[in-house]
Amino acid sequence: MEFLSYGFMQRALLTGTVLGVTCALLAVFVVLRRMAFIGVGLSHAALGGVALGLTLGVPPLPAAAVFGMAIAWVIGWITRRGEVSADTAIGIFFSTAMALGVALMSLSPAYRQDLLGYLFGNILSVGPKDLGLLLLLSAASVGPLVVFFKEFLFLGVDEEAAKAAGLPTGLLNHLLLTIMAVTIVASMKLVGIVLVSAFLVIPAATGQTLAESVRGMVLWSLGSAVLSVFLGLWASWLWNLPSGASIVLVSAALFFLAYAVRARRQRRKGAGS
Amino acid sequence: MRCALGPSPAVEVEDVWYAYGPRSALEGVTLQVPAGAFAAVIGPNGAGKSTLLRLLLGIERPQRGRLTIFGEPAGKVSHPIGYVPQGIRLPRGFPLSVGDLVLMGRYPTLGLGRRPSRKDRERVEEALEQVGMLPLIRRRFEDLSGGQQQRVLIARALVGDPCLLVLDEPTAGLDPAARAAFYAMVCDLQRARGLTLLCASHDLEDVAQHAQIVILLDRRVQAIGSPSEVLESRALAQVYRFPPAHHHHPEKEGPA
Repeated sequence: MEFLSYGFMQRALLTGTVLGVTCALLAVFVVLRRMAFIGVGLSHAALGGVALGLTLGVPPLPAAAVFGMAIAWVIGWITRRGEVSADTAIGIFFSTAMALGVALMSLSPAYRQDLLGYLFGNILSVGPKDLGLLLLLSAASVGPLVVFFKEFLFLGVDEEAAKAAGLPTGLLNHLLLTIMAVTIVASMKLVGIVLVSAFLVIPAATGQTLAESVRGMVLWSLGSAVLSVFLGLWASWLWNLPSGASIVLVSAALFFLAYAVRARRQRRKGAGS
Repeated sequence: MRCALGPSPAVEVEDVWYAYGPRSALEGVTLQVPAGAFAAVIGPNGAGKSTLLRLLLGIERPQRGRLTIFGEPAGKVSHPIGYVPQGIRLPRGFPLSVGDLVLMGRYPTLGLGRRPSRKDRERVEEALEQVGMLPLIRRRFEDLSGGQQQRVLIARALVGDPCLLVLDEPTAGLDPAARAAFYAMVCDLQRARGLTLLCASHDLEDVAQHAQIVILLDRRVQAIGSPSEVLESRALAQVYRFPPAHHHHPEKEGPA
């Protein structure tokens, strides 16, 4: 465990654990509401926000957060109007915002290195200042997810019944999209734009494979995300791999392990009955 | 809990109009359902049955007209309304347990951000007991049969102690035996708790057998009355474009 004696590695582990917990909690609703594609869309759209921030001389993470939220709300608004399907709206904004990001960054060669960092993540470069901002963004996401967990669950399971029960479904939908945009921006440093959408699905998929209740799914999801961060950073240290890719690969390995465990469990059940 | 049956109707709809863009769904609908009755809303696809129920549940607002439930405007009622949809579609493999699903019926009484108490969980068990599903409380909802899933959705509707139960084609996709069992259970609950039932349905045979009031809807109310009056009426044949059938139905007693 020599790698834990370095300050940058301790910061990376702390940031990764907090972001892993945030992503894993949100991922339960991403899976329930079949929002994986919107996760891909928002993560790629965030690049446009980063590029705008760099071009305008504004700190890129807050710029990406505001830009991502704006895109999320516009997608939500267009989808609710029902004239364009959600998939189409996401496809349009995702590609346009990403194209804007690439175009702006290509205008200044100085930003090329930044572009790679945002695309693939570099959690080992998280400094003390970044750490504070990332913790704040994570708290802003986890807080409402915990407080309104039962409402988000009801909304995901049966939106009509939730409306009939008097829940403010429009507001909750907006809140969930906002949390998603903030979480994605916060996670860019961890695994990068390309891989963050995977982290918004895989831990919950692992959780749902092993659990028999929503509570169990949340616990397995959180556990697998934290373990992925720890083992991913360790692998990254041992074999000099990019941290984001290592974390996502470990997360995927845990999913396949969970899948094998469930298949074995079901075979036993089948043989026993 | 047994619902007190007052003199005012459970459901009152006055000259209600609703359209989805250029497509009209309801045109001047007026009807009343007395407290404690089982009223069935029938009509072909696109007749406005689900729209009427959505307006009563407060999910949509009428473009014109007035809807009241036990004397209070729809969407602003102080009594909970139990809602039973056709079904719910969860993502494959999502581990929502029967108990967790029924607990959602308690959320309106809890308020935003509040956690369910032990009492709420006891109410869940009572509701599941009433529909004969308590032994399956820990099972995944997706692992149940269609008939069992509908019973669980009834329990979710009952756990909030409603006096009005709104059912939107609750037996769609069930086989005849499961449909018969479902309606028998719903009628038992109606009698035991003094519930008012408003049920959109395509099953004319079931409606003939169980409902006390039948409302034939085709954007307007085409006929309203006892099952024998409506199911053998000329209006039914016109709306469905078939000759009136002779449905067997024991004459229903009026609301208790």
